[in-house]
Amino acid sequence: MDVDATRSSQLAAALARVAGGDRAALRLVYQDTSAKLFGVCLRMLKDRSEAEDVLQDVYVTVWRKAASFDPARASPITWMVAITRNRAIDRLRARAAGGRLEPIEAADVVRDPAPAALERVELAQQQQRLARCLEELEARQATAVRAAFFDGATYEELAARMNVPLGTMKSWIRRSLLKLRACLER
Amino acid sequence: MSDNDTIDPANGGKVIAAEYVLGVLGAEERREFERRLPREPALAAEVAFWEERLGVLADAVAPVAPPPHTWSQIEAAIQSPEAVRRTSLWQSLAFWRVFGVASATLAAASIAALVYIGLVPATRAPLMATLSGSGGQPNVVATVTGNNLLVVPASLLTNDPRAIELWLILPGPGQRPHSLGLIEPGQAMRLEIPPDLTARLTPEATLAISLEPPGGSPTGQPTGPVIASGKLTRL
Repeated sequence: MDVDATRSSQLAAALARVAGGDRAALRLVYQDTSAKLFGVCLRMLKDRSEAEDVLQDVYVTVWRKAASFDPARASPITWMVAITRNRAIDRLRARAAGGRLEPIEAADVVRDPAPAALERVELAQQQQRLARCLEELEARQATAVRAAFFDGATYEELAARMNVPLGTMKSWIRRSLLKLRACLER
Repeated sequence: MSDNDTIDPANGGKVIAAEYVLGVLGAEERREFERRLPREPALAAEVAFWEERLGVLADAVAPVAPPPHTWSQIEAAIQSPEAVRRTSLWQSLAFWRVFGVASATLAAASIAALVYIGLVPATRAPLMATLSGSGGQPNVVATVTGNNLLVVPASLLTNDPRAIELWLILPGPGQRPHSLGLIEPGQAMRLEIPPDLTARLTPEATLAISLEPPGGSPTGQPTGPVIASGKLTRL
């Protein structure tokens, strides 16, 4: 855990240097985080060249916005994952209508394998809490929430993929989010 | 039934933050929501909550090393003038680096130039401070002449929804910060220092800026993080 706490504070320190215009520091940030963020881009976009574009965009954004990163508010990696997901979602929305709507496979319902970074105690606790809260949802609704997160799919896409009316999907997701909110705050 | 019937209106306003983070909103709804964010700190806090809590899901995604050429493309992108041009001159760190304002001496010289050209009334020898954050870069340059305070924000976080409040801490033990007012990122402005403070103002007093709820600190003392500070010196 100390190793990761150190890593996180090193990352925060590197971001502070990036805010001061230090390119070498951006390189450090890139070396430390690009594989994780590229994984997220690929998972969401399912297209290598688009994922590369978005990854580039993410680090240019980090370069420009590093001064707005507030370590008191978020961990560096949370901040960067949020930027990555937002960029990927924007890219998904920009794709021409009629994109591939893949059915949600049974594999998606299966819980993802235990993360490699489980030694990160604090993170692990948060993951466990989220996993526990997701378990309290009905199975299909939890699946919809996870599909939304990993695929950045709109309500319409989720409804089509899971073959339920749009209103039902909205209701599922919104109720799930409210339940999650209550559970995460417990 | 309408799918909204079951949503508690008190929560309904906030659910959109979760929907935004989860990624179910359409392009237009996303833009619209993002426009609201800087003005609605409660929504921004809700976004932060969900980014923190849902973000851990991303840890389950297997890391994949990007191709080697990606880094060189990023390097090229951040060197292009385009990357600099998107920020205004005041906020552009490149501008401040190029003109060497990173050193307090040069900042003093530029304030002296302001005095010379008459922007700062030169009735009394002015005091000057360069406020820096943990990164060391100058965030704000301030000069005090009499009860007149001229604040020039050089590089301040601009997309943070919180208000930026300026504080004066007089030298000496046990001094509490006095609020001098709110400042705007990227906007030079003049503030008036209350007469009782002006009378006690000496070099070694500290100026600091903190992030506060809209409208400023509700308590009269800093409540948010102090993002930059600096001591006044004689010019």
